[in-house]
Amino acid sequence: MSGSTDLPRRSFLQTLALASAGLLGVGAFGQSTRLLGVERPAGPDDPEIPNEAVARIYRERFGGRPITRGHVQLDMPAVAEDGRIVPVIIESDLPMTPERYAKGIHLIVDHNPDAHVAGFYLTPAVGQVSISTRIKMKRSTWVRAIVETNTGELWADYTQVRVTLNGCG
Amino acid sequence: MAHAIGDARIRIPDRITRGEIITVNSIVSHPMDTGFFRTKDGDPIPAYFIDDVVITYGGDEIARFEWTSGISRDPVVTFTVRADREAPLTMTWKDNKGGVYRQSVDIAFTQA
Repeated sequence: MSGSTDLPRRSFLQTLALASAGLLGVGAFGQSTRLLGVERPAGPDDPEIPNEAVARIYRERFGGRPITRGHVQLDMPAVAEDGRIVPVIIESDLPMTPERYAKGIHLIVDHNPDAHVAGFYLTPAVGQVSISTRIKMKRSTWVRAIVETNTGELWADYTQVRVTLNGCG
Repeated sequence: MAHAIGDARIRIPDRITRGEIITVNSIVSHPMDTGFFRTKDGDPIPAYFIDDVVITYGGDEIARFEWTSGISRDPVVTFTVRADREAPLTMTWKDNKGGVYRQSVDIAFTQA
C-alpha cells in the first residue's frame, strides 16, 4: 500500500478509539464481553467480542439473544493474498418454508472499518440459504456469519482469515 | 473492458424445470469506493458504493441485500430462487449517490 493511505487509516483508528472510549465511559479497548454488555452463551470455540463496533452490532441487531453455532456454514480461504477480493460462501440447512425460514444473514468482519459488511434478507421464495459474494478485508481477523430465523433463533458459523494485503485502505 | 458504472448481468441456467431451485449469478460494474483511499495527488476519493439490492420475481420482493463499501469492486453475488412460475427476475442495485441500476431475466421452463 502506498504511504498516501496512512493518514486516513490513522485518523480512522483515532476516531474508533475515541468513539469506543466515549461509549464505554472508559478509555480501555478490548473489554470482556460482559463489560461490553453482550450476554450470550459463548461456546469454547466461539471468538470473543473484540471491540465496541462488533458489540454494538450484537446489541442492535440481536438484542443480546443467544447465538448458537450450527446450521450455518461459512466458507472462506484460510489465507487471503489480496484483501480487496476475498470470496465468501454462506450456506445453511435451515428450512425455507413459510412456517420457518432464515430471514436474515449477517456477515461481520471483526476488524473492518465497517464491521457489518452485509446483510442478506431472504424469503421462502429463494428455496434455500446459499449466498456467495466477494468482500474486502483490512487485516487478519475472525469473520462471522449469523443467521436469524423468522422465529427469532440465531445460528452462526465463524472462521478466521489471514490477510496478506490490506484491502480497505 | 470499458464497462460503465451500473452495467449489470444476471445469469440463470439454460434449462429450468418447474419447482427447481436454480442458482442465479449476478455482477454489476461499480467502483465500491470506501472513502479511505486517496488519488495519486493526495485528494480523498469519496465513498461511493452500492448499499441496497432488491430482487423481485414476478413483481414480488423475494430478497433484499444491505451492502457497505466492504463488498468488493464490481460486486458479484450468487443466490438461489425456487422457480415455481414463469416470470421475470429483476435485480435493482442502488448506490449512496442516488444511482439506480436494473437488470432482468425471464425465468421460463424447458419444454418437454
